[in-house]
Amino acid sequence: MFGFIRQSLALSGANLRSLPRRAWISLSMVLSVTLVVLVLLGFLAMANGFRKTLSSTGSADVAMVLSRGAFSEALSRIGTQQAHLIEEAPGIARTAEGAPLISRELVVPVDAVAQDSGKNETLSLRGVTATGLALRPKLAISAGRMMTPGTDEIVVGARLAAKYNDLNLGDTISFGRSQWKVVGHFTAGGSVFESELLADAGLVQAQFNRPNQIQSLRVRLEDPAAFAQFSAYVEDLDLGLLAQTEQAFYAAQASDISRIILFLGWPLAIVMAIGAAVGAMTTMYSSVSDRMVEIATVRALGFSRSAAFVATLVEALALTLIGCAIGVALAWIGLDGWSASTKSGANAQLAFQLALSWPQALSAVVLALGIGAIGGGLPALRATRVPLRAAMTGRA
Amino acid sequence: MTPVSYDIELTGVYKSYPLGKSRIPIFEDLTMTIPDGDFLAIMGPSGSGKSTILNLIGGIDTVDGGHVSIGGTMLDKMSTRALTRWRSEVIGFVFQFYNLMPMLSAAQNVELPLLLTDLSASERRERVHTILDIVGLADRHDHLPSLLSGGQQQRVGIARAIASDPRILLCDEPTGDLDRKSADEILELLQLLNTKLGKTIIMVTHDESSTRVAKRTVILDKGRFVSEEIAQCA
Repeated sequence: MFGFIRQSLALSGANLRSLPRRAWISLSMVLSVTLVVLVLLGFLAMANGFRKTLSSTGSADVAMVLSRGAFSEALSRIGTQQAHLIEEAPGIARTAEGAPLISRELVVPVDAVAQDSGKNETLSLRGVTATGLALRPKLAISAGRMMTPGTDEIVVGARLAAKYNDLNLGDTISFGRSQWKVVGHFTAGGSVFESELLADAGLVQAQFNRPNQIQSLRVRLEDPAAFAQFSAYVEDLDLGLLAQTEQAFYAAQASDISRIILFLGWPLAIVMAIGAAVGAMTTMYSSVSDRMVEIATVRALGFSRSAAFVATLVEALALTLIGCAIGVALAWIGLDGWSASTKSGANAQLAFQLALSWPQALSAVVLALGIGAIGGGLPALRATRVPLRAAMTGRA
Repeated sequence: MTPVSYDIELTGVYKSYPLGKSRIPIFEDLTMTIPDGDFLAIMGPSGSGKSTILNLIGGIDTVDGGHVSIGGTMLDKMSTRALTRWRSEVIGFVFQFYNLMPMLSAAQNVELPLLLTDLSASERRERVHTILDIVGLADRHDHLPSLLSGGQQQRVGIARAIASDPRILLCDEPTGDLDRKSADEILELLQLLNTKLGKTIIMVTHDESSTRVAKRTVILDKGRFVSEEIAQCA
């Protein structure tokens, strides 16, 4: 056993030291693996970042009520009478005066000019009440101040402020015929709310000609356990409404979109990996061919077939791991924390940050090892079948 | 314990190689004996079967018929694994183009066959030092092959061949790639290994002057021995 290990180590070392002879083709193998890893990690980081953003949004003790079948707030409609009935539901937290902690909200799509493209993009302007702000405990003013209820003031999510024109403190921005003053920027723990503009709900209804329109109700529950009775009450009303926790609502959205990203990402990465494996195979066949006389010589000296196999496989795995390491490093430097945005359910911009994690890096390493094993396996078998007569006939 | 005699016996050997759809016979009924301690030079035109004899004796090729026996061991009856192990213990190869690992130093090249033994690292180092000293390269331990002359590279090749103390050295045109002076030095070294250390040496050569160091010279043509000459004062 020790003899086999010694033989394998000696041949592997000799192989790796001979890499400069095959520098360019080895480099192409390394770079193709780097590319595969970058593409895979790009998709994984995108899905992960998106999931992180949405899963950091919402809490278990806030319930959302929307029209049944509406997968986003923009598609939901709740009547004033329905809202009154919900206010009577059990399990709702109340103020000392007995008022329910409930926020009637609506989201209106508005256009703003992106600084980088100069084109209009759709953002979400959310109409909230003072209670609505209280239902978002992570929301904190990072610059300026909070808007005053009943006025034409807005506060802007931190992720939007730097990307769009007229969203700096003190700016006035026009949405249709309405004018709004930017008085504050806010953060919200990296949640999806950072991709929104917040204004007074009543004024949003008035300025956008949507009198009494409510799209969603946000309800503070007495505790997370109270959701069951609250939900049962909403069901019993049979008003075509559905209650779910805020956490569950955003988790479902995250899951759907992450799945779509991964559904595209993994197949693309695997197709590229197959290409890289074929490239690796070519490189390794070339390596075996290049070392034909050396392999035959050491085999003639008494080295085993299995040592020749291991040494070739080690070379393939070493090259793929180098490619993988470069890919992971580049992804971490270039992609982790990179800001991206996509369309949310309301067709508005939803900003998020790409996020890499160690399990994802491990996925890339496994994929790279797969490329190395497939790309190096057959050439390694070839190395075990090098005719020993080659030692007598060729130059090393 | 009675020392094992490594007489080499080829009996009724048939060997052919494929050529297109047919096979061309190299040997049809070759029989020869090489006694332990012999220094045999084999000459003959290209394609006469000189190298094939080395391949068969070295166990890197197998007979199609007949037998090859060395020290009583029938090579044609051995498994590939057993043959590989046997070869590492009994046979040393010296190649025309040296076949050194270009990325390994002289000492590392010589150490290669010792990795197949049970010697410790320090014992291997000591053995390598001794052998490089024997071949006159004590001061070239750490030199890469590319930094050595052809003659020096062949000395490293010989050092590697004798590192694990094999009984038999198979030399395929060992001076074929060297100038006259270097060739003479290599031949003297081989003669020394034969006379002082008792190694059996079988040397294939095209160079008639190289045969002066051999005890016997045979000439092969079309798979048959056509003449044999025994040196008077080898």
